[in-house]
Amino acid sequence: MTVPSPPPAGSRGAIALLAESCTSCMLCARECPDWCIEIDSHTENEPAAGRRPRTRHVLDRFAIDYALCMYCGICIDVCPFDALSWSPELVDPAAGVAGLILERDQLGAFVTGS
Amino acid sequence: MTGHERAGAFAAALPGASLTSSFGQLTVDVPADAWLDALRRARDDFRLGYFDWLSAYEDTDSVLVVVCHLVALEPVEHLLVRTRVDSEPPSLPSAVSVFRGADWHEREAAEMFGLTFTGHPAPGPLLLPAGFEGHPLRKGFVLAARVARPWPGAKEPGESGSAVRRRRALPPGVPAPGRWGPADPDGGQP
Repeated sequence: MTVPSPPPAGSRGAIALLAESCTSCMLCARECPDWCIEIDSHTENEPAAGRRPRTRHVLDRFAIDYALCMYCGICIDVCPFDALSWSPELVDPAAGVAGLILERDQLGAFVTGS
Repeated sequence: MTGHERAGAFAAALPGASLTSSFGQLTVDVPADAWLDALRRARDDFRLGYFDWLSAYEDTDSVLVVVCHLVALEPVEHLLVRTRVDSEPPSLPSAVSVFRGADWHEREAAEMFGLTFTGHPAPGPLLLPAGFEGHPLRKGFVLAARVARPWPGAKEPGESGSAVRRRRALPPGVPAPGRWGPADPDGGQP
């Protein structure tokens, strides 16, 4: 579903996730006033030839519960790597509350204009 | 008479009142002891006869502020009348004698903020169940759902739900486990 173009001034669609930019820093999940962002991640050792070995965080799960989200945009504001952004797309209706929990792939599909 | 002129004349007519304008919204602050008089004069002398709503909020210095939205009709002009309730315990004269429709608004503000509207014809809770303790819209009110549900932000970067953590980050405004609510039958400690 898409907002009729052009969308009304000041309107907001869904929140899109560019998972490649996410460092699993947890800032959005901690700042969210509704506690609607769930993040799972793990740490991987990066192969390093002749350097100190490095670890990096790998995102396993990123989910926004749109049943709780109030579209305040604080997560988008705090994201230091612009992994989160506003999308003109709208969240589709679901048969139940559980269907409004959108996982990483569904949030990635909201990314537009790249 | 424009809305601004009307609000200015209204503020000038009341001792201790002041007019402020913010994003086109006119607000007249009146002293708490002139609250009822201000509402009556707004209705009778300044054509602000349409009562829209009355509510309250807790200011940053923990003082309760009561706000009343009045409207002059044809042409429509909006005005907020606001007062700070400094008394302890907080109480304000009921406006039901001026605006009959303020009845339920005052009952809701009373139960949500712990205010007393003296002279209210039928005080008592409006929305909350009988026996409810506390005032849910006060800043100090603890949300039980926040204590019961695990905070998604408690995980550190690189952690999953099952991870064992050394130091737990705590959500703002929520008491630490074991500090609030009914005591854990196991003693709260593993």
